[in-house]
Amino acid sequence: MSEDDVSHAPSHVEEAKANHGPANGEPRIFVEDSRALPLVSIAVALRSGAASDPVAKDGLTRVMVRMLRRGCRGMTSHEFEETVDALGAEISADVSSSVITLHADVISRSLDRVVDLMAKMMAEPTFDEVELGKLLRETQGEIVEARDNDRSLATRHFRRLVFEGHAYGRRIGGTIPSVLGLTQADVRACHAHHFQRGNIAIAFAGDVREARAAELAQRLVAALPNRRPTPSEIDSPERQGKRRLVFVDKPERTQTQILLGEVGSHPRDADHIALHLATTIFGGTFTSRMMRAIRSDRGWSYGAYARLPYDKQRDAFSMWTFPAAKDAAACIALELELLQAWREKGISARELAFAKRYLVRSHAFDIDTPQKRVHQRLDIDLFDLPADYHDKYVDHVQAVTLDEANEATRRRISSDDLVVSVVGTHAEIGEAVATAVPGLAKVEVVAYDAE
Amino acid sequence: MTQTVPTTKENDRASQKRAELLGQLNANQPPGARLEHEGSIPLGPAMLVQRYRLGNGLTLLTSIDASAPVVSYHTWFAVGSRHEKLGKTGLAHLFEHLMFNETENHPAGSFDRTLEEAGAESNAATWVDWTFYHESIPKDRVGLVIELEAERMAKLVLREPQVTSEKEVVANERRYRVDDDVEGAVSELLYKTAYTAHAYSWPTIGWMADIEGFTTEDCALFYRTYYAPNNATVVVVGDFKEKDLLAKIQKAYGRLESAEIPVEDVKPEPPQAEARRLRVKKPTATDKIAIAYHGPAFGDVDHVPLTMLCEVLFSGRSSRAHRALVQDEEIATELRGWVSTFRDPGLFEIYATARPGKTSAELLVALDREIAKVIAEPVTLAELDKVKAKVELALVQSLETAGGKAEQIGFYHTVLGDPGGAFSRLDAYRRTTRSDLLRVARRYLTNERRTIIEVHPEASSDERG
Repeated sequence: MSEDDVSHAPSHVEEAKANHGPANGEPRIFVEDSRALPLVSIAVALRSGAASDPVAKDGLTRVMVRMLRRGCRGMTSHEFEETVDALGAEISADVSSSVITLHADVISRSLDRVVDLMAKMMAEPTFDEVELGKLLRETQGEIVEARDNDRSLATRHFRRLVFEGHAYGRRIGGTIPSVLGLTQADVRACHAHHFQRGNIAIAFAGDVREARAAELAQRLVAALPNRRPTPSEIDSPERQGKRRLVFVDKPERTQTQILLGEVGSHPRDADHIALHLATTIFGGTFTSRMMRAIRSDRGWSYGAYARLPYDKQRDAFSMWTFPAAKDAAACIALELELLQAWREKGISARELAFAKRYLVRSHAFDIDTPQKRVHQRLDIDLFDLPADYHDKYVDHVQAVTLDEANEATRRRISSDDLVVSVVGTHAEIGEAVATAVPGLAKVEVVAYDAE
Repeated sequence: MTQTVPTTKENDRASQKRAELLGQLNANQPPGARLEHEGSIPLGPAMLVQRYRLGNGLTLLTSIDASAPVVSYHTWFAVGSRHEKLGKTGLAHLFEHLMFNETENHPAGSFDRTLEEAGAESNAATWVDWTFYHESIPKDRVGLVIELEAERMAKLVLREPQVTSEKEVVANERRYRVDDDVEGAVSELLYKTAYTAHAYSWPTIGWMADIEGFTTEDCALFYRTYYAPNNATVVVVGDFKEKDLLAKIQKAYGRLESAEIPVEDVKPEPPQAEARRLRVKKPTATDKIAIAYHGPAFGDVDHVPLTMLCEVLFSGRSSRAHRALVQDEEIATELRGWVSTFRDPGLFEIYATARPGKTSAELLVALDREIAKVIAEPVTLAELDKVKAKVELALVQSLETAGGKAEQIGFYHTVLGDPGGAFSRLDAYRRTTRSDLLRVARRYLTNERRTIIEVHPEASSDERG
């Protein structure tokens, strides 16, 4: 990471972001109390994820997390599922490269019992060998099934090329060979690595008071070892510096799924909010430049969007469209033109003023439920955001100048360093698509069902 | 929850205050703009919905929820794909797209731009029985939404270039949701096969040939026929002042004229006398199966127990079919069941995907075995209680935002005529017994009433060479 990339040092944020408990070896706790509904939402988040999966063991962290609900001390997998449903609760889990989150929604009257159940699933999973075998075979079926989803195929290959050689380019769910090779010992070691008290942040939203939430949080982690895992830092991804095309060949496609993009930015970058504003103009709303040119003027694609998400490090800036096969090449050419014009000519003062009004006023919907509010605070902790990123978001948006927005675009967005991922029928449109992207340094054609 | 239901004394005071307010608002107004309060309807134990009607027939449902400084504004029209004719399928949905275009006082593109500039989130949806448009907006901008929605209810401008472009967008939406999506294509085929007479047989998005064939005049006729205040319900939930809101609604909508809504040319579906079965090939890796039994209408007394039976069989990892087919026998990867929430009798749908190497025939045998069990024996008390807990959680989750509340109110009002219907339904779930589930299993889950679509893979890329 270069010097100009960092404007807010994450080390300053620690004290301000936690409501309770020291940051050393104890979970950090966040609470948004609301009596509006008899509902409590709990998120137990771990500051580590699939990036720590050993080489050739892709999918390990996700399998370990799924195994948590497949049996714990005194309860079989079936008994666990029966108990969750009978309590009027839902428990789910997400695994990303850098974060694991267990999430529960529960009717208030069952809160205590759900907390005890979550504590048990985290601290005392049985990782039964028979259940593990079942899950691995189930995962194999899901990986095969995912080939039916064209958007998911486009995304998988897009990320593989944008983040080539980086943790963000790996498959969090694993491949069939990597998943089938996992053992009970792998899963136990993975659990021991992640589930340590110092690795955890807990958020409560809804019908629970702050003092009670603190007590429940202690119960959630009481049986976990009081340690922090060895940090497994994720490097900042590097740009590859060339145009690359991956064509995912699938028969009988009347439509294509197209993603274009490269490594984006992170809220720690001094120009992130400026780029966020510029991206909003380019492809962030229903009246954006992309949407008008591609959908409104030509009717080529039902949707046309640009996104600038973030993780612990910079994630991918991406443009997404899904035109009919007959329009795919022309649509890609148009997207490249739009991208070039945005980069070279920038946005106008009028557009900037519009984007500011949109983002500032719609901010009300980023914070209209206790769950959204508490997750903003949790995100600061999990993704090493500047401490005031959400609290001062509106001020930061208002402060961006036209020069800053256009300079951020020129610095972060390139029409040369670009990955183009297309799902379609190669025999019908492959050549036209490749011709629509001049200066390609690399072209890959992969079968949709290739592992 | 967000409000405390008032006592009788408070109710009397509120009624008197409301009567005085309406007296002021209605003074010197033409008949079409006169507002009438039709009642206060409980929405669960702690919320109230106020129902008003304008003289021109517009229904207005309001509920104050000051938990966030936002307002959700929904406009529900009692028109969906069931009101179309063969050869013109998909018109209700295409029209939903066109409603975001030019009006007499706002050029093309300005509707969305103006709302975005105000910080609003807006969208729309069309299904078999209804079409609804929704905006969520910071509370200080609600007047803007009222003005824009009233304008497009009566003053939409339809021009050839926009209609042509929007037809292309909808064709692309169809490719996305149906033509290139195995499950979407199978669902379409399932309804087409299960219904032979009723309008539920065609897809809401329409057949591709019909989408391509629409003219501007088709669209204009549809607009004049169905988009009128007496065919619409406005639902407003959020942080607003009732007095201000009513005055603005009256001003914006009071001038609109009602229309003569045509009598619906309903063709009831004749009873299905024998099973229907189709086999299709798709570019997919595994076998799949879709099954549909003819079921009851959403308002039918049997709909609640049949929905609960569906939950027992298919909802989540603890359900019977998931446990049997996914966990124990390992023949399925994915499994779902759903009972249509339609105004007329719908379907009890099942969709399952086979594990690699397993077949749709194996899925059918296993599913039939699970269905035979619920026909032979009552479900357990624990299963019944579990479903009751699950539906309660789902209802509470749906009420977290102003938009969620508005959708519940609008949906139940449009389909059942009861804005508080979500909670009446929760009461019905709580009253339901194991006998009710046994009764509906035996009544509806019979082989002659069902349609089966089996999907087999075409050759893989390896096999194609």
